[in-house]
Amino acid sequence: MHSILNITRNDLRIFFSQRGNLMGLVALPVLFTLVLGWAFGGNGDNSAPRLRVDLIDQDQSAPSAQFIDDLHRANDALVLCPADNDADDFCQLNGEPLTVERAIARARNEDTEALIVIPAGYAEGMASFAPVQIDFYAAGNPTLPNPVRQSLDVVVQQASSAALTTNVLDAVLQDVTVRIGIDALTQNLRSQFATELYANVQTQFADRPDTVRYVASAGEDAASVDQGFGQSTSGMGAMYVMFTVLGGMAVLQRERAQWTLQRLNSLPVAPWQILAGKMLTYFCLGMLQFLVVFATGLLVGLNYGRNWPALMLVMVAFVLCCTAIAFAIAPRVTNEEQAGGVARLLAMALAPLGGAWWPLEIVPPFMRQIGHLSPVAWAMDAFHDLLFFGGRLTDILPEVGVLLAITILFFGIGVNSFRKLLA
Amino acid sequence: MPPMVQTQKLCKSFRRSDGSMVDAVKGVTFDIEKGEIFSLLGPNGAGKTTLISMISGLLAPTEGDATIGGFSITQQPIEAKKLMGFIPQEIALYPELSARQNLLFFGRMYGLGGKELNRRVDEVLAFIDLADRQKDRIDTFSGGMKRRVNIAVGLLHRPQLIYMDEPTVGIDPQNRRRILDTVKQLRDQFQMTVLYTTHLMEEAQELSDRVGIIDHGEIIALGEQGELTQQVGEEDRIEIGLGNRAVPATYPAELQAQIPGVTRILYTPAEQLAEGSSQSTPARLTAFAKRGRTALPQLIQVLNKDGYEIQSVEVREPDLEAVFLALTGRALRD
Repeated sequence: MHSILNITRNDLRIFFSQRGNLMGLVALPVLFTLVLGWAFGGNGDNSAPRLRVDLIDQDQSAPSAQFIDDLHRANDALVLCPADNDADDFCQLNGEPLTVERAIARARNEDTEALIVIPAGYAEGMASFAPVQIDFYAAGNPTLPNPVRQSLDVVVQQASSAALTTNVLDAVLQDVTVRIGIDALTQNLRSQFATELYANVQTQFADRPDTVRYVASAGEDAASVDQGFGQSTSGMGAMYVMFTVLGGMAVLQRERAQWTLQRLNSLPVAPWQILAGKMLTYFCLGMLQFLVVFATGLLVGLNYGRNWPALMLVMVAFVLCCTAIAFAIAPRVTNEEQAGGVARLLAMALAPLGGAWWPLEIVPPFMRQIGHLSPVAWAMDAFHDLLFFGGRLTDILPEVGVLLAITILFFGIGVNSFRKLLA
Repeated sequence: MPPMVQTQKLCKSFRRSDGSMVDAVKGVTFDIEKGEIFSLLGPNGAGKTTLISMISGLLAPTEGDATIGGFSITQQPIEAKKLMGFIPQEIALYPELSARQNLLFFGRMYGLGGKELNRRVDEVLAFIDLADRQKDRIDTFSGGMKRRVNIAVGLLHRPQLIYMDEPTVGIDPQNRRRILDTVKQLRDQFQMTVLYTTHLMEEAQELSDRVGIIDHGEIIALGEQGELTQQVGEEDRIEIGLGNRAVPATYPAELQAQIPGVTRILYTPAEQLAEGSSQSTPARLTAFAKRGRTALPQLIQVLNKDGYEIQSVEVREPDLEAVFLALTGRALRD
């Protein structure tokens, strides 16, 4: 262990004795993280997301009010205009009344996420279990999921179920009174019973605990992925880690050319200790690179949440992966210049391919699949899970598993061929 | 007393880029006794560095083994390496670090630490006469100074055995002299065993207790200098540099027949110094005779008569160069 640490300490001393390395480790990554972060929209809006939805209640009944309450409960991000408009005029109504025509135009122009129209006669239709048509207008591809429509579906399903339950029980009650030969209930009593039953079923729906936790993975939340610094810290972090760690290939070739690597091998230390010392050097530099970039994110106010252990796990797995790749390729190149070229080429190809420059969520599915040939994509998936979608440690274990599998594969290759560098 | 180094049929083969195999070292067996300077003398490409790389544990032998102080370099490499200090032909130092930082690092790798390490570093810096430059970066040093630090690294842990692979390559005569004196000092003052490789006959002659002459991966002669020169007899060697005129293949024999006392004449044609270079070594005749100075006037007379331009003449007493020439038909510099 003493020899391993001694090699690492010496290599780090040499690395930091060269001022040019600080440019690559600190100055450029920080600069690019800031520039790309601002270009992608800075920190975005860190407050709770709000979706502007026009809702015109032409029925103005208790069931329609219940329907609106249910919509709020189904998705608390919905701001139903004009009822929920605030002092800042979030609904952008400018003091003018909201007509159906205007609301349709607003939805078409994507000034709102959608328009929902509760038609007149809604309450009556629900009571008689007659078909009721709720109008829904939204721009965009109707085959793609839409959070407003999903919320609406939930509420309509709920209202339909309540109406269905009420009607079925009313029919059962009628049938029972006939069969046991008692007087039929008056219409007034039946109506009162149905109203209470409907309300009771609705309450049961409202009190029912959620059985499914919704975690958006793509599509409807793509707009939130490009929250600038979230993307730029993870992306630039991954890319510069590749530059720094893969750059180790060139250093190994330089050491071979100047014979310090062979001299190490002539000392009373085992080759595996030399390999471990060198790998530890680049693991430390890779982790330091990540910390520099993520610290930049912290300084500009990016909120990483409480998932630091999970973030660290992704960083460790990715740095190990890059280190193993570097040590597997290094013996296969012939000189320092070639190693430097291969390192730059790999970093410049794998980083954008894996989503370090832009989120893979915005590229076509086939590109997303190709992108996952790059370890960067797996790291970025894990970072996105943690930074944007509220993912937890267990959510990123598959990505970490893939990175560690790549590590083991390349480490095996690297160990076998490292002796070439020592002779 | 058991030898410090014993090699047993060491072989090393490499695969060429075209897939064929080349034997760089072919079954080399020799011993180096404790406290002696043993030189491996041979032209460039003879296999010296490959051989020294195998017995220092850098290269695994294709066949055979070597023991250092009784430890097998293939089976007990760590124990064997503890006994040796390896001084490669290249300046194997970190140019970004100072001389002292380099020595401290390698000292720690040898297992030294604390005050002992600092004391040893001070000692070797004084020994190579660079104590005043110890804080300067290696990349600010002259070639000779770098060579001295390169040697100092190998001495840090006071090894019983020092390998020096052509340590005087590319340095000025003053620093070369200093290094040769250092090598002798290691044996005389510190009783170290030294394995010294060189392609310079003068260095081998000055330093060595025993010499192994290596060519094409094989030891072709081994022993003390006196024993080796006796192999080629007591004859003087007359080197005559000629102009560019070609010498017929039969001419050396015809010339020898005309001059009494000359036992043999070898012809070496002119040769370009490097590919594409306009400079070349002159063609030369090498004649062997019991009394070189007696045969020389007659040789010059006949060559003049036959119309050959004589550019240089040198008479040399038997030496390692003559041994190599006699055994291979080529000069060491070839």
